[in-house]
Amino acid sequence: MAEAKTRNISFPRYAEYNCAFKYIVEQALGCRYVMPPPLTKRTMELGTKYSPDFVCTPFKTMLGSMIESLEAGADTLLMTHGLCRLGYYGELLEQILRDLGYQFDFINLSDYDMSKKKEYIRIVRRFNPKVNPARFLTQFMEGVHMVEYLDEITAEYYQNVGFDATGGQYRQAYQDFLTTMYTAQAKSDVEEGYRTARRSLRAVPLDKPRRPLKVGIVGEFYTAMDAFSNLEIEQKLADMRVEVHRWMNVTNQFLNYGSDRFGAGQKNLRVKIRDLCQYDMGPTSTANIWYARECAERGFDGIIHIKSATCTPEIDVMPVLQNISADYKIPVLYLTYDAQTSDVGLMTRLEAFYDMIDMRKKVL
Amino acid sequence: MDNQPIKIGLPRAMLYYRYRDLWRTFFVQLGMEPVVSAPTDREILERGAALAIDEACLSLKIYLGHVAALVGKCDYILAPRVSNFGRHHSLCTRFESTPDLVRNVFRNERQKFLSYEIDEEMKKLDEETAFLEMGRSLDCSGKAVKRAWRLAKKAEQARFKERVQKHELLYKRDGMKVLIAAHSYVAEDPLMGKPVADYLKRVGVIPVRADLVDREAALKRSHELSPTCKWEISREILGGIAMHQHDVDGIILLSAFPCGPDAMVNELITRRVKGIPMLNLVLDSQSGTAGVETRLESFIDIIRFKEGTL
Repeated sequence: MAEAKTRNISFPRYAEYNCAFKYIVEQALGCRYVMPPPLTKRTMELGTKYSPDFVCTPFKTMLGSMIESLEAGADTLLMTHGLCRLGYYGELLEQILRDLGYQFDFINLSDYDMSKKKEYIRIVRRFNPKVNPARFLTQFMEGVHMVEYLDEITAEYYQNVGFDATGGQYRQAYQDFLTTMYTAQAKSDVEEGYRTARRSLRAVPLDKPRRPLKVGIVGEFYTAMDAFSNLEIEQKLADMRVEVHRWMNVTNQFLNYGSDRFGAGQKNLRVKIRDLCQYDMGPTSTANIWYARECAERGFDGIIHIKSATCTPEIDVMPVLQNISADYKIPVLYLTYDAQTSDVGLMTRLEAFYDMIDMRKKVL
Repeated sequence: MDNQPIKIGLPRAMLYYRYRDLWRTFFVQLGMEPVVSAPTDREILERGAALAIDEACLSLKIYLGHVAALVGKCDYILAPRVSNFGRHHSLCTRFESTPDLVRNVFRNERQKFLSYEIDEEMKKLDEETAFLEMGRSLDCSGKAVKRAWRLAKKAEQARFKERVQKHELLYKRDGMKVLIAAHSYVAEDPLMGKPVADYLKRVGVIPVRADLVDREAALKRSHELSPTCKWEISREILGGIAMHQHDVDGIILLSAFPCGPDAMVNELITRRVKGIPMLNLVLDSQSGTAGVETRLESFIDIIRFKEGTL
């Protein structure tokens, strides 16, 4: 029986979160995890070739990544539900892969009513019918803690790495941290890796001016966070000696404001933007508008809005960001990424943006 | 008190085509005057395109043009937030953002906007609650609002039923029939779907609409084609295709560039509906209908060739 043997599970590449997926699949579900190969140009070519033209870019990225997972030996693919088009990714991804002739088991969370708790047990049992729910929950939470550590360390990293006085130790410490997370097999590995990372990051001497250039990143949930998809924009900015701040991550979006009625937890963010926006305009609109204003009020030098081509909710947020930009006289750079966006083109725009905010800071 | 009735602006775009009977009756019953913008023309589109973010869909550009045409001409312009009618009964996120979008785009105009919110999945706000609340926010008595809502809903249902019944008769007519799968605001817009239907009629083809079917039945049948489709309107269209694919000679998937739901749902339809000629036609804001007509012409030729009547 297919259910009895151990599954080889994969979920597409998504920023650095795959270390936590791996931990949860291996430790909590007792299955094997197939790490999708790192995203490359080939991934995008595969994804673009078989996707409909004007679907949002993360769909193409995920399709490419799923094909590479199947090539790497995965027999079970997982796809999430979601509030925008993401909620329909699963069914179309599966159809395209089946039409290509791949054989696999597909677990699509959009098949389940995720507002009902008993559905979660059904899903877990589909992965592995022998799972003990109590043990699963404990180890699942260890994976969740890994996500929180990852987000905390990553946020600290991009705020400081541009000012590393040693020429590389800061970056090395972060890479070491990621390696620990990708290889963790027990709670102690996660905790120890986190503590080590904190210590070693803080031990690196920084050469930061009293008032460094600060840029806030807002945007779409996949492209704003996934370094491959946004062409490592945060590293590029940091390399120009910019302090890069991004609120949007899994911890802030889901855990700190967690509730199974997604979005309800963000009602206290809505209070501060009531004059700009009466309702939720999309899955991440409230957080993005709130954070953009927060950056403006905290005197940041600029905001960068990141989205994939044809991302409807983020297109609709742009008029609000334009108003924040006008009210607070803060520059906003709008970037749209599609499968063709080039490194050189991005670099030119970033350099121009940097020159402008740098000049403003000196004049104002 | 002045006796001028309150004027409510209804932009003739997007959800207007779904809710015109409900909206008009509701406001008329409350003693107000609905003001509908003129049918879409190039000027409306160009005005809307200038106001919209470049990457926004053609339907939104047209919508903003209609809102602009109403600004300053009425007390309120209606811009509802219609998120969903429950799980897998959602609308495109664009209908969640509409009220805040227009307030931000038109914030320098002293125009007041009127909203109601439907969000059953997250907030348990259904259509009735939304309308009663909106009526009361206009200082109407609870009793009057309830009555207006009841009459409006009845009028909407009766009118839609009548349209569906009339539409069903088309399937009984002799001649080539082509099913148009499109959102009503695309199918009926004078710059988008109407030229397509007009062309088909001109060359002797009967255009039928996938979404003009009994909605309850269509929602149920939609699962045959796509079990997890989350968009209400797409599901009605999917159901319409499932119900009528054997009564027509071809299907035109008609969408406005770059419609989010259609980009995915139409791809799925082309992969799952087999054995019938299908044309995937995406409309953009290019002027002129020559390109569209050429594609329609060759599509009709393909159908005739297949049926041996060319």
